[in-house]
Amino acid sequence: MPMIEVRNLTKRYRDRIAIEGLSFCVNEGEILGFLGPNGAGKSTTMKLLTGFLPPSAGTARVAGFDVFEQPLEVKRRIGYLPETPPLYPEMTVGGYLKFVAALKRLPSRGLKAEVERVAGLTGVTDAMDRVIQNLSKGYKQRVGIAQALLGSPPVIILDEPTEGLDPAQRAEVRVLIKSLAGKHTVILSTHILPEVTMTCEKVLIINQGKMVAYDEIRKLATVHGQAENVSLEEIFIKLTAA
Amino acid sequence: MRIALAIARKELSIYFTTPWAYVVFTAIVAISSFFFMGLLQTFQQVQELAQSVGWSQLPAESAAYRNLTDGVIVQLWGVLLILTLFVAPFLSMRLFAEEKRNKTFELLMTTPVRPVELVLGKYLGGLGIIGTALGLTLVFPLLLAAFGSSESGTVLEWPTVLLGYGAVLLWGATCMAVGLFISSLTESQMVASLLTFAVLLPWMLLRGLAQGADEPLRSFLGYLAFDAQLQNLIQGVLDVKALVFFLSVILFSLLLTHRTVEAQRWAA
Repeated sequence: MPMIEVRNLTKRYRDRIAIEGLSFCVNEGEILGFLGPNGAGKSTTMKLLTGFLPPSAGTARVAGFDVFEQPLEVKRRIGYLPETPPLYPEMTVGGYLKFVAALKRLPSRGLKAEVERVAGLTGVTDAMDRVIQNLSKGYKQRVGIAQALLGSPPVIILDEPTEGLDPAQRAEVRVLIKSLAGKHTVILSTHILPEVTMTCEKVLIINQGKMVAYDEIRKLATVHGQAENVSLEEIFIKLTAA
Repeated sequence: MRIALAIARKELSIYFTTPWAYVVFTAIVAISSFFFMGLLQTFQQVQELAQSVGWSQLPAESAAYRNLTDGVIVQLWGVLLILTLFVAPFLSMRLFAEEKRNKTFELLMTTPVRPVELVLGKYLGGLGIIGTALGLTLVFPLLLAAFGSSESGTVLEWPTVLLGYGAVLLWGATCMAVGLFISSLTESQMVASLLTFAVLLPWMLLRGLAQGADEPLRSFLGYLAFDAQLQNLIQGVLDVKALVFFLSVILFSLLLTHRTVEAQRWAA
């Protein structure tokens, strides 16, 4: 059974169509790269998958639970980093992570260890006592990722996780995401194409709310390029043009 | 319930780390001490006058000045009601509006938090902050108890003082509940505070409108007016009807807030 199952998912805002007829599956332990130009509907899809917004039509299931019908069961199983990291500027990093751990209903026993674990994974351990509003953008982003990993949920959804990071931090986060494969099912969206080639096995490209490609990266290259070593960038530009 | 408490604790810690709460505390203490001094002065004048000419010579309304409880504290609580009306919207405005503006609302809505827990947690946090703000004013009866004197018995009639104070707290809790609901409707704290104020003030003043109306509208408006409902409680008369009235307003506001949060899931 696929971990994430999306069927005919559609979201309309009045007369504007954000996404239309999106269908895909992600198997357990897979990492799916979510690509598309700005405004293509990447963030909207993620908001639908996490139950923040209701779909206009279609269904999404996570771990067999319908996102709309059984939101609490779904939310228990998802770690989500939204487009804007949801941080409280007045709180310290440690206080914030403990608060999110409580929201996620993690048992109080071992909570401290869990907070330290995710802080270690994302490299924010040395900033635990700092107030979030004084942190650099890169730190804020990593605190956002740390929050998503809390409680190691089976499904992790990351909306542009490497936004605002410098090249070294970006490489670290890539390694981190790759290490999640197998144990977690991950969907990540990004603009940075090499990132997808480096971390994901499968890629889904959407443009103007519609899916234009959905396949393994290797296969995409053979379908869309004449040469074997055509880059994802060329495929992306070709598919999202017009 | 654990989640509601975690949310309440977070709200309080944010209130106390920003200067906002302290500004409000200072304002409420400064203004009420100003009125406290004024009331004391009037009390003293009436007492002196009564000593020279005798109580029987003074107009009937001076009778309240025979003791410190009715002459100072009950009147101070009356002032505090109005102050609460002005202050509560500034404390309640951020409860939901800030989460929406900060995009942290997305966190609350995508973690396994039930809307009930969210609303209760927010409200408890709000109660904590208004309770602290109003708690500071207990210093005035304590001052009187410590330094005042009385011809007979204790300086203050504590049951009356505390029941009146309970009425102020109940009123504060009502303002916070209405403010919480309005805050859940908007992203803008400014709009939330102004709207809360615009709802509470006319509601408080409904009694004036009632006096000009015919029956049965007159009784109806008189019943709805916050001001009229608070009259008995503030003077230390335990008025169960008023208790029920305010608890209903609080409950109704919380239900509306719950609906609003829940509606997010259905939003177009």
